[in-house]
Amino acid sequence: MSLSELAFKLNDHVTDEGTSFDAVLSEEGVLEVVCSSNDEFPINVVRTETQLLAITPLFDVKEVQTDKLSELNEQLLFMSPAIPLSSIGREGSTYILFGSMALNTVFDNIVHELEVQAENTLEVLLVVEPLLV
Amino acid sequence: MSILKSILTAIRGGASEVGEAVIDANAVRILEQEIRDAEDAIGKAKQSLTNLKASEIKLKRELNSVRNDISDYESKAIRALESNNETLAGEVAERIAEFEVDASEKDSEHQNLNMQVNKINSMIRQREKTIQKNRRELEKIKTVEQLQKATSSMSTNFAATNATEHRVSKALDRVKKKQAKWEDRMEAGEWMAEEGQGDELDKKLKAAGIGGASSSSGASVLERLKQKQAVQ
Repeated sequence: MSLSELAFKLNDHVTDEGTSFDAVLSEEGVLEVVCSSNDEFPINVVRTETQLLAITPLFDVKEVQTDKLSELNEQLLFMSPAIPLSSIGREGSTYILFGSMALNTVFDNIVHELEVQAENTLEVLLVVEPLLV
Repeated sequence: MSILKSILTAIRGGASEVGEAVIDANAVRILEQEIRDAEDAIGKAKQSLTNLKASEIKLKRELNSVRNDISDYESKAIRALESNNETLAGEVAERIAEFEVDASEKDSEHQNLNMQVNKINSMIRQREKTIQKNRRELEKIKTVEQLQKATSSMSTNFAATNATEHRVSKALDRVKKKQAKWEDRMEAGEWMAEEGQGDELDKKLKAAGIGGASSSSGASVLERLKQKQAVQ
């Protein structure tokens, strides 16, 4: 499924729990998806030759209290295996939550992944919030 | 050096700054070209292998045919010997000897051809593995590129504004408030639904002649007062 097709379907979809999506495809080929259950932290979906990547930028390293950086990294390492369908990583100076899907993933599963990722984002941020400025 | 190690080195070297590519775009193009060239070469090698295999099969068939002839003439020679015709048996033996020379040459040629086929086949498999490995390496680079693209908007934002004070806390508060509002609305919806069900129940009770308050009327109050008066 192409990103534009995914955008079209997401904008027209409401889940059983009442979650809706606002998806916009940028000129650079990044699909920004805002979940109604968490509209503060959009999910950026990109596509490679083999997978779809759903990435939520969480915070910049500058937002971490300087003396808490090691503690934060350790917390995230411990937390990562326990988070369903998502992993935590860092791209440049930005901490990210991400999940990957095969290109042939069916629409319902993509929706599920995005919903879970929106939830995971809030859970992770609630845990690490005390370590941020 | 493995691609992952190169990526990590590049990141440590500061290549992760906004807008800067982790891996040189030329290196990516070269790797892509190498994969395409290797695939073309494999395509040609497979074509040659097909021709070689066809020759090997043909030779094998010829060899089998000569061996059948030998076997056939051997039984004829034995029959000639049995009929005490040694001259004829000798001629047949000479023919068999010619066939055996031919079979030996064909056998040797066939073995060489077979070895070549196996060698080329294993080379192709080896090359295909290398291509798959290169494709995986390329995929890693492309993934990093896409990751950069997906986070660049946030990085640009930070670089431009540097406004990081309590951003996450404020955003979480806003989400919590919206969620609380949504939960309140859900609760209100449930309450309304329950109320609606309550009305329905009262109606059913009234229809069945059950329920005190709902059966009150001016006539019943007057009746009650009359009874009270009678008692007094």
